[in-house]
Amino acid sequence: MSNEKVLKDLQNAILKYDSEAAVNAAKAAISAKMDPLVAIEKGLVPSIEQIGAKFEKMEIYLPELMLAADAMKSALVLLLPLIPKGAKGAKATVVIGTVQGDVHEIGKNIVSSMLMANGFNVVDLGVDVKTINFIDEAKKNGAKVIGASALMSSTIGSQKDIVDYLAASGDRRKFAVLVGGGPTTKEWAKEIGADGCGMDAIEAVKLAEKFSKGR
Amino acid sequence: MVQILDVMDKALNGKPMSETDYQLRLFAPKVQEKVKEYKIKYDPNNPVPSDNSLADDLFEAGLELLVDVGAYCTSSGRIISYTESEIKQALKDAPSRLHFGEGRDRKSLVHRNVEDKTPPWCLLGAGGGACSSDRSFLTLVEGYAEIPETNAITTPAITRVSGMRVRPASPLEVLAAMRNAVLAREACNRVGRQGIPIMNSLATAESDIAFAAALHPKFGMRPSDGYMICCMDPMKVDFARLNKATVALSLGGAIGMCFGPLIGGYSGGPEGTAVSNVAHHMMGILTYQASWLLPFPLHLRYVASSPRDMVWLVAASSQAINRNTHLLSINLNYTTAGPCTPMCLFETSATVTAAVVSGHSIECLGVATNKHEDRTTPVEPRISAEVGHAVAGMKRSEANVLVKGLLAKYESKLSAPPLGKGLYECWDPDTRRPTKEYRGVIRKYKSAMADLGVDLKPEM
Repeated sequence: MSNEKVLKDLQNAILKYDSEAAVNAAKAAISAKMDPLVAIEKGLVPSIEQIGAKFEKMEIYLPELMLAADAMKSALVLLLPLIPKGAKGAKATVVIGTVQGDVHEIGKNIVSSMLMANGFNVVDLGVDVKTINFIDEAKKNGAKVIGASALMSSTIGSQKDIVDYLAASGDRRKFAVLVGGGPTTKEWAKEIGADGCGMDAIEAVKLAEKFSKGR
Repeated sequence: MVQILDVMDKALNGKPMSETDYQLRLFAPKVQEKVKEYKIKYDPNNPVPSDNSLADDLFEAGLELLVDVGAYCTSSGRIISYTESEIKQALKDAPSRLHFGEGRDRKSLVHRNVEDKTPPWCLLGAGGGACSSDRSFLTLVEGYAEIPETNAITTPAITRVSGMRVRPASPLEVLAAMRNAVLAREACNRVGRQGIPIMNSLATAESDIAFAAALHPKFGMRPSDGYMICCMDPMKVDFARLNKATVALSLGGAIGMCFGPLIGGYSGGPEGTAVSNVAHHMMGILTYQASWLLPFPLHLRYVASSPRDMVWLVAASSQAINRNTHLLSINLNYTTAGPCTPMCLFETSATVTAAVVSGHSIECLGVATNKHEDRTTPVEPRISAEVGHAVAGMKRSEANVLVKGLLAKYESKLSAPPLGKGLYECWDPDTRRPTKEYRGVIRKYKSAMADLGVDLKPEM
């Protein structure tokens, strides 16, 4: 299969929200000995960026965004391990989740998908994530950024716990902590010593980019 | 009749499915299928539609959606399915009248029809918005209880206990929920409305343990209050929420399920979200054992209910429910703009008008997207209630003209709304009145409303 055809298949798989097609196209790229960075940057990324732009304009909605991100993730699982560590172009990793005691996931899912759409390697821990799990997973995955979402005024206190735990354990400098969700504000982020507050998914991505190489 | 044990049986023995598959591969495409099948179409020129066939199609689409996808239990990872006959029986069995409150504040929440002259039930307050201190909580609830139109209170949420920020499912949340109950009653007592019901019991209790703990009678909650349990979007439940339902039922409390499908979320655009909103009503009386409903559909981008497509959604889905059932449903609205701005008052007026002429009662309100601590006052719910009473009985076609006039005043500013002023900057807790500046804003707003054909009470 020609490289051109492989790239086209990767692009179409994302645009059609098709995880199975994305896996097949990634396998084809590997068989064709295509540079995995090229497969990602010229195959997957342009399409997922298109999807992100359409979502921002509300031309498509959350299900399409998440299905496209799922397809992207399916292909990345195969391609990312083939990229040499530290290679130019390798994207930063963000660990993201909804904080302990909070099971709301929509905001977190949007940011997670939009980060992926902007080329980040996203480790999504789901909802009701214990403070220590954010930190353990960030260390395990070599993440520079921790994203903590909370929807309720009774649960945003858990965002502070992440910052405090990092400070108390001497790891604060290693990770940028970004917060977001219903009751979070920039003032709140400042008050608890977080590195930023994404008032929407676009701002969250910009902040992740700012801290992608560390604090 | 589906009861709580039946719900558990279904939750434990229903079809297994992952949460992702349920919401992305079952719920989302089925919603769009119903939109297509019933040719549901959002009409921006008619934010308050008068089309009965649209309302009836929305009802059928919502009913079919629930039959096709059921609810989803995240604790068991299974679908809770309902047959069409179970749903229709539940609709038939649901109450069309409920009593809340005590003594002279005991009133009836009744079903309203489209264009009904009966004033809406006014559940007034902060809709669970965050407040910074016990002082703010008391100031706000006293103010809400003094509004003449108030039938019931929706309190703010307490965020701190003795200076410590609440942590979920911890002793801090348990204590905060108990404090929520005690202070709400105390505030009503202070202004002589001892019997008024608290209907968002309990705003501070996100966890089931905090909810159950604060219902001990010594904290002042009564069976005549309203017990609100929030549904996870889309149509999801977990054992913690079913625990809350079981506890509330054991006290003889009337459960209200609140739910907020998002335009731009799992249901797609305004049409799909309207179908989802209708389906959630029916899901609530079955899964959450609700006897009243509290929809608060929101716009994903603006986190408010005042954009044009949101107003259409509120009107169309309310008409669908009220033309085809006798359910008790109360629409909660959010504004983008904050206190002491005309925009905030115009926004709430538009959504309240759409809901009331379409047969719903009102919960008012989340101010400035309900995001900021102490950025709400008793003025915004009072004005909302005055509008609700003024438009009761209005024809939908007249309401459509009114809402278009209101939209013209704020629509262009939705992306960068003014946040206005904080509680103590525009409300005087000692005189229990808005500041001179805010009174001026209200007078100008009321004059503009008069120009649009709605005469509200003169502002003192």
